[in-house]
Amino acid sequence: MGPYHAIMVHFPVALWFVASGIVIFRALSDSPLARAFDRVLMTFLVLGVLSGLVAYTLGQFVWPPETLQSTPLGRNHMMTATWSLACWSAVLFVRWRGGERVWDGAVNRLAMLIMGVLGALLLAATGTLGGHLHGAPAYLSEIVRMAIGWDVYQTHYVPNWALGVLAVLIVAMPAVAIVASRGHEARTRREESAK
Amino acid sequence: MLRRRTAIAAVTTLFFAGLVLSVLTHGRGVLHNDPARNIWIPDERTMPLRLQVAYNDQQVFFRYRWPAAQPHVYSDVLRYTDGKWQRQLRSPVGSDPDGIAEDRVAMMLDDGGVPEFQRYGGYVTVGANMRDFTGSGPDGAHRRKYLYATRKDPNDWYSIKDQATLDAQRKTGYFLDLWQWRAQLSDPLGYADDQHIAWYRLYDSGDPMFSTNWDADRGQPRWMFDPERAGAPALRWEDVKGGQITAGKPYYLAEDAAVPFDPAHEWREGDVIPGQVLRVPTGSRADIRVQGKARWADGSWDVTLVRALDTGNPLEDKILRDQGVYSIAVSVHRDARASRWHYVSLPLQIGLGRSANLVATRFNGVVPDWAQVETRELTLFYPGQVNWQRQLSGVHAGSKYIAKGVPVQYRHKERQVAEYGIELEFDREIRRQWWLNLIAGVLLVASFAYSVSRLLRLKGD
Repeated sequence: MGPYHAIMVHFPVALWFVASGIVIFRALSDSPLARAFDRVLMTFLVLGVLSGLVAYTLGQFVWPPETLQSTPLGRNHMMTATWSLACWSAVLFVRWRGGERVWDGAVNRLAMLIMGVLGALLLAATGTLGGHLHGAPAYLSEIVRMAIGWDVYQTHYVPNWALGVLAVLIVAMPAVAIVASRGHEARTRREESAK
Repeated sequence: MLRRRTAIAAVTTLFFAGLVLSVLTHGRGVLHNDPARNIWIPDERTMPLRLQVAYNDQQVFFRYRWPAAQPHVYSDVLRYTDGKWQRQLRSPVGSDPDGIAEDRVAMMLDDGGVPEFQRYGGYVTVGANMRDFTGSGPDGAHRRKYLYATRKDPNDWYSIKDQATLDAQRKTGYFLDLWQWRAQLSDPLGYADDQHIAWYRLYDSGDPMFSTNWDADRGQPRWMFDPERAGAPALRWEDVKGGQITAGKPYYLAEDAAVPFDPAHEWREGDVIPGQVLRVPTGSRADIRVQGKARWADGSWDVTLVRALDTGNPLEDKILRDQGVYSIAVSVHRDARASRWHYVSLPLQIGLGRSANLVATRFNGVVPDWAQVETRELTLFYPGQVNWQRQLSGVHAGSKYIAKGVPVQYRHKERQVAEYGIELEFDREIRRQWWLNLIAGVLLVASFAYSVSRLLRLKGD
């Protein structure tokens, strides 16, 4: 499946990189051009996630699972690919559910900007690691090592206590959203009854 | 009461904090020294070694220089402790806390008789459950290097082929020459130990250069220093501990400077006598000499070994010739480490007058002018517990390349294989942590997307 995976990854890579450009541009600009790009963003995101799913599935068959999961490069590639797919699915979900409101105000834009940049970084890491596995290492991995101290030859994992903190964050974010939503609904009811 | 914008800012901050936490803490919490499993991880995963090679009509010279914070010149010592003599022989897991493990440089050499060696170096000599591997078992002590075709089942150490087959293999050159310079057991008399690897790591024929000084029946040394020549019959532990030479005192016991052990002597706590007695080797065992004097200075060893191109022992040595290309792999023991806690190189081709990774310089005269000889800087790495069986199995993604004969350097760098070797020692723990991390990352993104989208649907501020 290796050659087919290599062919297929071109689609999500191209679509998501363009999408990340649009997200960043739109988050920083209200110009007509930025608005025009935003109108095609959903198309890029949907096609990106669909082709990404196909590429991801094909990637699982390049090597047997035991082989892929036995080397740091294989593990890291699989992890960043999973996170890329998750991140761009999240961008699609938020843009779909939020509609044009995702560009209302600096805070909304910041949230989109973070997801767009994160998606681009994860995509770059996934591609770099894929190239490494394919026998064509890029200098980008050296930059990552020097910039954030992550050696691509070491499996990326965090200690248990950090996993515990992440678990708290995973619960805390929706908790904040739910509390704010309920507060918002209560406030709206009070305002309506006051009228 | 949380406002919508404040809530989105809070959720975004929490998400960003999770990302930063993941970056700052990655790689922690799993790798650790574990002596119970024979695991000890060096702080430095790689080290440099400078190599020069020169030859004349008769001899070949290999010069090795490598950094070492301090020399370690002792290995096996006998120590008078608690009123009796005790043998301090041990193979420490990692660095010996007392510094009692000699420095060494070793080199495997082949002329093409072991074809895989040219492509994969020392990996081809490492079988499953080798000595000092995790879980090597009570019989692990004798599980040393061997070549795979010497076994009926390459993964079964005990399935050694019959002697006639082994002899036939030897005649075809199916063995690796092994040179081993040892700071305690070979250097003092000006030699490197001459060995070879075939069905086992074997010594070349001839009288050995060391023999045990331990009389197991009597529980005491056999020999001691001649007090008239050495100033005392024994060394002191405080001089030996740390592994360095104490000025004005001997650090080895040579046969011609030893006298029979005197049990009637008034021995004191902390008296130390070397556990091996050195003697001048003979025959094929004596083929490799130290040229000049091995020297440690300014944080670096400088050792030059010299051997006849043709030793006359083609069944134990690789015979070298002008215009020949040969493969080598080098290893270094330093920082008071023994056994598998060494640094090794990937294979390197040496050309005697022919194009290769490193072209040996031909010279006329007795000794080379090293300033005129090309220097190659090698990167040596800590190899972990990677065995050849695993490399050939489907678990190794590169096994299909090995089957095609693709050399190890095509796919791997030294830093890379060092990290892989260490991670393999914690494979189960790392894989578990990696899975949890992967899932946590997905959940973090999903949680953020759900939270933001929920907040974005709220109208007003």
